[in-house]
Parts: sequence; structure tokens; C-alpha cells
Amino acid sequence: MKITVCIGSSCHLKGSRQVVEQLQYQINQHNLKESVELGGTFCMGKCQQGVCVTVDDKFFSVTPETVSEFFKTEILEKLT
Amino acid sequence: MNNLCTDIGWKSINHAGEQLCGDHVDIVEQDENSTVIVLADGLGSGVKASILSTLTSKIISTMMASGLSIEDCVKTIAATLPICSERGVAYSTFTIIHLINNETAELIQYDNPMAILIRDGKNYDYPKTEMHIDGKKIFRSSVKLQENDVFVAMSDGCPHAGIGIGYNFGWQRDDIIIFMEALANAGYTSKTLSTYLVDEVNKLYGEQPGDDATACVVKIRRREPMNILFGPPSNRNDCDRMMSLFFSKEGKHIICGGTTSTIAAKYLRRPLRASIEYEKSDVPPIAKLEGVDLVTEGVITVNKVLSYAEDYLSGNELYEEWSFRKDGASLICQLLFEEATDINFYVGRAMNPAHQNPDLPINFSIKMKLVEELSRCLKQMGKRIKVSYF
Repeated sequence: MKITVCIGSSCHLKGSRQVVEQLQYQINQHNLKESVELGGTFCMGKCQQGVCVTVDDKFFSVTPETVSEFFKTEILEKLT
Repeated sequence: MNNLCTDIGWKSINHAGEQLCGDHVDIVEQDENSTVIVLADGLGSGVKASILSTLTSKIISTMMASGLSIEDCVKTIAATLPICSERGVAYSTFTIIHLINNETAELIQYDNPMAILIRDGKNYDYPKTEMHIDGKKIFRSSVKLQENDVFVAMSDGCPHAGIGIGYNFGWQRDDIIIFMEALANAGYTSKTLSTYLVDEVNKLYGEQPGDDATACVVKIRRREPMNILFGPPSNRNDCDRMMSLFFSKEGKHIICGGTTSTIAAKYLRRPLRASIEYEKSDVPPIAKLEGVDLVTEGVITVNKVLSYAEDYLSGNELYEEWSFRKDGASLICQLLFEEATDINFYVGRAMNPAHQNPDLPINFSIKMKLVEELSRCLKQMGKRIKVSYF
């Protein structure tokens, strides 16, 4: 599974750093380093919906507030 | 003609309790390759000294740059300087470094500590000729320039540092030579070298300088072109033209901006890999693209670079942040401030629809302003700047 987070200007200002750090933390907590790859990308062209995140090419709009919920429903549950 | 150029930087500290500095550095560019640098130290400290040194350095630099002889300069100063009512003399010492065609340096020194020349990391004792003008003993030297030559001119506040505190006779010229030999070829800019020297002086004074102290460093270096791409072109069809112009230029290549680097990646047919390593910094991470020396995010990063540039030109206090960190803004600073001498900006004027959101602190006019301000700062650092818009 590959998660990609936009680190472009717009998403950066909307908190992509916190999103990345949260995801890194969660992945470590759940020992998912083997099955989840976390990466960055520049602008996905959907800045209005930032922070832009894709999981295996499926698009999500995430914020620092919703990131743990997103991780639970879209990553953890899909993996088990 | 050769491909050498000069990097000039200086820093002063004031006598404790004074708001004005009695030392003054004046730099006049005679033409593209010739420069006159004057460091003058006015008698005493405070307002009087400041006026004396400002007049002296301004008069000499202007006259020398117009091709007048040193004899004329000295006579003019003697006839013009206001006479101190307490001491009955008009007096300001000076060091002149006249760089001619980036090939020769002519040094003319009157009563300041002898300028130091460090060549290949070692002190180089250049020959001096003594001459007398109006009863003043003036030393004159002519030195053929070599790459990596570092000249250090200073006011007597430097070797007097620490008198009676740390040293009996102050921080002597020989000690300063040893200090500078260690730093001269470590890749620092002149501004940073002068900062290191003056900061050390300040430390030796116990941060209560007993005199104004100034160091002016002139470094002879090879020209180093650098190219920086910022923003996509306003007309989509211009992408290829902009990219081919940018990549055909000699020197390193920096790309700022997410969309811009995506366009470049398409042009180069190479993958663009954004990193998610956040260094100790508030700017977004950098990316990797084969064939490009540095890829960063755009507006936020460049804004940070601008604030570092403004600091560099004033107190140079954030130096230790940007010169060692690995975030996008710091890396750009290292390339532009330390490495580059000739910088070509390729600026795209495309409007990014995502940036027009009123909630965001970035928009098109800010981006154009950033380029203007940054190129103004870089020019002030003595770099040659060319900006092309697309």
C-alpha cells in the first residue's frame, strides 16, 4: 500500500507537515513499515481540497484534525 | 581579462555606549572589474569620529574611482577635514584597496593596522614602499591577484581587543593572522569571515568594545554562474522554450516551485521524487530530480530565503542557521550567497489558481515582489543578476 501526501505550498500551509508526521507516527506504532510506503509529492492540482493525500491512487482530503480517523478507516481497516 | 571576481564584505562594532561607528567602509565600483574600497577610522569615537571617517572614505573612494592620484586625495583630505577643537588636528587613518581589472590590487595604507593577505591558506608578506605626502607616512603596495587570495583590512579596534582583559598588548596582528589562516579557505563568504573576526574581537573586549572595530574582507574568486527557475510561464506553450533556455545555461540549476519542477521533470523525462524529510525548519521538504542540483517548493521557501538575505546584509545573525541546515531555503542560501557570483533568474508569470484563495498568505503579486526584493538583496551582495520573465 502506498500513501502519498502533497507537500506543495498550498497543502503545506494547510498542515501537510502535521499530516506526514502523524502518519509516520501511526505507521511506526502499528508496525506497518513493511506493508505501507509513505511518500511525498508536489502539487496534485486539487489545492482547494488540501491537504491532498492519495492511497494507491485513490484521492482523499485530509486535515491535521482528521488524520487519525483517516488512518483508522482507510489504512488500518483495509489492511486487516 | 580573466575569470576572477571579488567578494567584499565587512562588519563593524561600535565603542561601548556609542550609537554611531567611528569607522567607515566605502566601496565604489569604477567599472565592472575595478573597485575602490576604503576603510577609514576617524579620530576618537562617536559623532566626531563618524563624520571624519565618512568624509575621508567618501572623498578618497570617489576621487580614486575617477582616476585621481593618491597624492591629490591625501591633499584634498588634509584641506577639507574639519579640525577637532579638543585636539587641534584633523585626522582619520585609512586603508585603500584598489582592485584593477580583477588582476592587480593596489594597497595604500595610512596608520591603520597593515592589511593582511592570506594566499593559499598562509600569510603572504607582500612588499611595501614607503612614501611621504604632506608629512604623512604612507605605505603603498601592488599585488598580482590569484584565485583564493583573501585580504583583511581592519581598524585598530581589532588588534587592540582584550588589552588589559585577556592580553597585555591586545589581540596582536600575528594572532589575527593565525585566526584568519584557519578560516580563509573554508568556503566562507567575505561577509561571514569579517563577521567571525569582529565577533571574536567583541568577545575579547568582553562585549564592551573599548574602541570602534571594523574588519573588511576581500576575497578573490572564480566566477560561478547559477541559474534559478521560479514559477511556470504565463503561456503554457512557452514551457519548452523556457526549459531549453534554462537548461542550456552553464552552472548549477535550482528549481523552486511544485508545478514548475513537475514541468521540468516532464521536459527532462525523469521522475520527480518529493521527500518527506522535514528538517529543523518551517519550510516544505525538497525533492530530487536527476539533472537538477536542487528542487524546492516555491513561495514559502523563497520567502524564507529573502528573510535570510536581509539578515545577511544587516547583522548576519542567522548565519549559523542557514549555513549548516539542510532544508530547502538554507540550501538555496548556501548556493546563492556563498557559491554563486552571476545569477540568472527565470521567472514564470503564471497565475496559480490555488494561490488566489484569499485565506492563503500567498498570491501572484507577492511572488513577483519576492523576485524583485531578492534580486535587489543579491545585487547588494555584489552579485550580477539577470532576470528574465516568461
